[in-house]
This record gives sequence, C-alpha cells and structure tokens, in this order.
Amino acid sequence: MISTTWRYLGENWAYVGQLVVEHLRIVFLANGLAVVLGLALGIFIAKRGREALAELVLYTAGILLTIPSLALYGILMAILDALGLVSIGLVPVVIALTLYGLLPILRNTTTALRSTDPATLEAGRGMGMSEAQLLWRVRVPLAVPAVMAGLRQAMVMNVGIAAIGAYIGAGGLGQLIFRGIANTRADLVLAGALCVSLLAVGLDLALGALERLATPRGIRKEARR
Amino acid sequence: MIELRSVTKVFPGGARAVDNVSLQIHQGEFCVLLGPSGCGKTTTLKMINRLVPLTAGEIHVGDRDIRSLRVTDLRRRIGYAIQEVGLFPHMTVAQNIAIVPRLLGWPAARRRARAHDLLELLGLTPADDYLRRYPAELSGGQRQRVGVARALGADPAILLMDEPFGAIDPITRERLQDEFLRIQNEIRKTVVFVTHDIHEAIKLGDRVALMRDGRLVQHAPPAQLLSQPADDFVRGFVGTDRTLKSLRLTAVRDVMGASPARARIGDTLVAAREAMDKLGKTVLPVADDEDTFVGWISRTVATGSGLVGARVIPYLVLGSPGMPLNEALALMLESATGQLAIVDDERRLVGLVTFETLFERVRRPPEPPSASEVQP
Repeated sequence: MISTTWRYLGENWAYVGQLVVEHLRIVFLANGLAVVLGLALGIFIAKRGREALAELVLYTAGILLTIPSLALYGILMAILDALGLVSIGLVPVVIALTLYGLLPILRNTTTALRSTDPATLEAGRGMGMSEAQLLWRVRVPLAVPAVMAGLRQAMVMNVGIAAIGAYIGAGGLGQLIFRGIANTRADLVLAGALCVSLLAVGLDLALGALERLATPRGIRKEARR
Repeated sequence: MIELRSVTKVFPGGARAVDNVSLQIHQGEFCVLLGPSGCGKTTTLKMINRLVPLTAGEIHVGDRDIRSLRVTDLRRRIGYAIQEVGLFPHMTVAQNIAIVPRLLGWPAARRRARAHDLLELLGLTPADDYLRRYPAELSGGQRQRVGVARALGADPAILLMDEPFGAIDPITRERLQDEFLRIQNEIRKTVVFVTHDIHEAIKLGDRVALMRDGRLVQHAPPAQLLSQPADDFVRGFVGTDRTLKSLRLTAVRDVMGASPARARIGDTLVAAREAMDKLGKTVLPVADDEDTFVGWISRTVATGSGLVGARVIPYLVLGSPGMPLNEALALMLESATGQLAIVDDERRLVGLVTFETLFERVRRPPEPPSASEVQP
C-alpha cells in the first residue's frame, strides 16, 4: 500500500501540489486573520480593569475550541445562509479556522501583556512615557515571543482541521482523504494524511525559526550570560 | 526647588500613608527620606512625580504646582531611578539611556553622544562597548549604574531615587555610594533619595528627613540628627552606636593635632626620655631626617643609652588626612601604641590621632551649618 501511495504521489505531483497550495491558502488566510484579531482583542482585554471581560473572552474562545469542526462548519453555513452570504466553500472554513486559531494567540497575548515586569512599567511611567508609548515600545515588543508561540500552535492545529474543510467544498488536501474514503482507496487516504502531517511539521519548524528571528535580541535566551 | 506643603496621602481603603508633611528641598541639595518600611517615604517620593496622586496639600517643583503641568512633561523633567532598576530588556544600554531624550525629540547623534558621556561619568568604560550591550549581559552593579545613567539621560535638574543601591551586595553598594557622591559633587542635582539604611542616609545626605507612620519626625543635617535626636524614636532609629556613626562624618584632617611632637632616629634615648617627660607622654612618633614616619618610641623601650633609631617600634598601620574618623578608630585599635600616625603621600608625618582626640570630638560634636529645622 505504501508503494501505491508513493506511485500515486509521483504520478499526480502537479495535482497534489495544487491541493497543498489550496490548503496553505486556507490556513494562512485564517491564521492571518486570527493574529490580527487576537492581537487587537488581546491588547484590548489585557488593559487594567478589564480582568472580568478577559476571563469571559478567553472562556468563550476556549468553548469554541471544543466544538467539533464539522459541527462548527454546519453552524457557520446556517448563519451565512441566513445572512444571504456565500455559505459554502472557502468562506465558512476560513471563519471556523480563524475562531479556532484565536484561543492560543489570544491567551498568549493577554498573558504576556499582563506579565510585563512591574518595575519595567514603573520605570517607564516614571520617566514620562504615556500608556500608549509603554504599550507599543515596551509591552508589545516584549510579548512578541509569546504571540509567535501562540501563532505557531494555532497554525499546526489548523493544518489538521483544514483537511475537513474539503467536506464542504473548500478544497485542499482533505479532498484526497475524502475521495479515498468514498472509493475505499487506502492509498489516497494515506497520501492525503501524509501530506497534511508533513505540512504541519514543516510549518512548525518554519515558524519556530521565525519566532527566534522575531524575538528582540536582548531577550533571546542565547544573549544571556 | 522642591516644596511640599502639608502633603497628605490617604489610599483607597483609608490607610493614611503620608500625613501632613511639609518639606523644602533646596537647589543642589541631597535630601534623604529615611525611615522604617511603611513610614511613607516612598509614597512621598512618588507624589513628587505624580506616580502617586496626592490627597491633600500642594507640591511645587521649581515654582510650579506639579498639577499645573502635563504629567508626562513633569516626569520627563525629573530623573527617576528605582531599586529594581527596570531597564527595558529588549533595548540596548544606549537605547535605555536615551529613552527620555528620545521622548523629548533629541536627534539621534545627540542622544548617542549623551549616552556615551553618561556611561563614562558612571565609570562604565569603554563606553562604546557598553552602549551595544543588552541589560541581560550586565552584572547587577552595572545594571544599577545604567539605571542611574538613564535617570540622568536628559540632564534633569531633579533626581528622584528610590533605594537605588538597596539590592546590591555591600561592597558594590559602598563603591556605588562613593561614586555617586563624586558624581553629585560634579553635577549638583537636586536629589531626593529614599532609604531605610541609616548608614547610607548619613553618608549621602546633606539633610535627612526621618519619617514615621506617615509623619515627618525630624529634618536635619546628619550630624545634628545623630547629636540632637528630636525624640526617642529618632534616638532609637539612629541606634545606640550613633556616636560611632557620627565619627564617619568627620575627616581626620579636621581633628588631628597638626605637626605633632616627634623624636628623630638620630636623637639619643636620653633626649627622647626627656622629651616624653616634658610633654607628659609615654609614646612618641619617630621620623627620619627627611621627616618620613618610621615608627614609635615608648618609655618602656627607650631605656639605657644609645640612639632612638636602634629601638624604634615598627608601625603596623598608617592613617591619611582624608580618612573618616570611624576608619581611623578601627586602625587605632590595631595599632601597637593605640595612636594613629597620619602621613601624607610621601609618608611624611603630618598629624597624630589619639583616643583623647576622639573623646574630644564625641563630647563636642561639630556645630551644624544651619539653624535647626526640626518639624513639629
């Protein structure tokens, strides 16, 4: 079976490549949105005096993550349909993955922004930095590693969930798996699963490298003596 | 320069942290806010740059009510250094020092030159090497220096310091204090310095404001705080060894008997004995022909005939004119004769400190330069 899988991948590399591109498009779109939303929302709820709101938002994001992806696709399709919008294909899948990706990014952003060393903040305030200057020049740069770690987690998770998006016509590597199941072609299922796994591992490594690059030099571990 | 008028701080919940404190700090003065923890000294300091809003009273900085300025403008005019330092870990030393200059819109070249000069002032040399480093690459003492350099970043006239040397090992702390005194002599900032350490307060302050339970108990120069404590609390706080502490405030040169009587190595023992009889002394310092101090001659060893040079008791310790009296006392306890010879850089005998000198000093402490300013 492994050999038929290899043969299939060898003979259909252009098609499989196209599926990989589709898959990545879904994941990048969704996680791009999740990072923007997560950062904005994280900064908003990390402010002092919004602890209760932060609890609520993080709890909600946690609940979202427990909804099985197929069910969430179904719910989103119904909502989009009721609003008279495109209810099938890319749109509901990207929305669902954005919601899934939100939790790790949001949680890490909020925690990191809240855990800035109080002495650093006091020094900044005492020198006459405004709250906005403190946020953008100190707290956000110091939160970058945590935000990147959250993004990495969300990305790897979403590569897997995106495969199910093929079921509602979003394309991507899930197509191979679903076609294999429908036609009892185990080699197709395996080919799809293999590609999804490789993609997840590859993205994880790439984002790990990016995480190091994006970390301000002074707080990288190797900079410490 | 800084004036607190009946300043009171009541925290939400009713805790009265600072209670009706009035205080004047002159331009170029080093004012220490001293007291046990919870006495309100840090709160008082933080009200000056409005990190803590005041409940009642007024604070004026250079003729202006601090509430008439925008809070960020006020703080950018006042240097601020804290015990935890709070350097920004993602910024280089150069960027950290240039934070306020950058907020004030100084051009990059001027910021860099300023950071360079400040590192040299604080003894972090070669400055170019330190400019590029990150806080994580510095030792605790070095970080503290950078913290002080950062507080001086935009050359503010006023410096607020909250136990800046509190978290450093005693040896480094002592050195930082000495260096800061040297720097302060050069730059003459108006400094408000919070500490709970009486030694630090006495060493650094021009005047010390001692606080207890939010109230100002005594505001006086260190010598006066030690010699005329306002009440039992002050007496207890400065400690039963306040006499010893006060010795630190006087330099040897101010009390030493100048050009003391001496024997020469070429004198005869007979002459030395006669000199001791005449002066009523049992010990004399001995100098050679160039007046270099070589040791002691005492009645017990100056017996028989011969020359002083043959019986000289070698010295174990030497004092210098700039030495504080507490150090002189410590050396005297180690000296074979219970006296301390004070010598100049060429080891020429220029003075002598005896226990009588110290008794005299302790019995008649120096007059404080200004009239007493004890607050009710």
